[in-house]
Amino acid sequence: MLLPFFKWMEGLAVYGPSIYLGPAVNIVHLSAMVTFLGALLIVDLRLLGAGLTQQSTATVARDAQPWLLGGLIILTLTGIPAVMATATLQYSNSVFWVKMYLLAIAVIYTFTVRRKVAFAAEGRFGSGTMKAVGLLSIVMWLMVAAFARLIMMIPANTFEFLVG
Amino acid sequence: MEVNLPGGAYIRESTFGFSILLTIHVVSMCWFLGLVLMMDLRLVGIANLRTKASEVSPRLLPWQIVGFIVMAISGVLLFWAQPLRYFGKTFFWIKMGLMILAGINAGVIHLITHRSEAAWDSRAAKFAGAASIVLWVAILALGRLVAYDWMTTEYLVE
Repeated sequence: MLLPFFKWMEGLAVYGPSIYLGPAVNIVHLSAMVTFLGALLIVDLRLLGAGLTQQSTATVARDAQPWLLGGLIILTLTGIPAVMATATLQYSNSVFWVKMYLLAIAVIYTFTVRRKVAFAAEGRFGSGTMKAVGLLSIVMWLMVAAFARLIMMIPANTFEFLVG
Repeated sequence: MEVNLPGGAYIRESTFGFSILLTIHVVSMCWFLGLVLMMDLRLVGIANLRTKASEVSPRLLPWQIVGFIVMAISGVLLFWAQPLRYFGKTFFWIKMGLMILAGINAGVIHLITHRSEAAWDSRAAKFAGAASIVLWVAILALGRLVAYDWMTTEYLVE
């Protein structure tokens, strides 16, 4: 269904004839991922009762938020051209789709459930709930990063049984 | 032919061995570097300001070490499987050099800050924090660039 859209994106040839633009965008994407994950982890570790435990979770989360959002914005801005440059290859790659579904779930989770729990007043949620929310966040985002790296590295049909 | 260190061929020739190892290396790098960055940004004085720098560093350190161990083991195994491939890469050697500098810089941060609470917010500590960010981003970039065949001497003979 989306194939014409992916063909159109590839037709735009965002990187032009440059062989350096792709790797450069990729390095910025990775740096943004490091920033995003750092801001995510200090809060998730705090939810797990580790790391910056002298502050409340909400305090740690408030400090981390601009870096979390900034990281995500740059990830998006650099991720889009990376997909556009090789759009038809991505379209027919099951690993890409697994990453995108995981990413969608992780983003929704981060800005609904996790946000509510991380910014809640102390004592509002039990430590069991907070730990579960933090652990799930870590697992989901590490999976997003892992599947992103696996695109174009393992066979394109590896996860076809999952995403058709 | 690639030189064969014990077990190296197994990693190199298995369908998913290299891919899984590289993925573990990248994900643990994100973990390690993300936490290092949060610490460095606090040291420089632009992030996590509600927590003291003297608290951020020791509290994140054990978690940085966890990431570093996984990153180092997977990194050594990646080299182990294809030593000649990396031996011929200029970017690889610059990356190794910068990692040594980053290690020295971490030692410098410790020397600057272990004396007193106030030293955590000193100009020297800020400078060392900024140097750490620059070094690690350069290491990340070089790690990514090793994948391309720029500035590479081919030692493998078919």
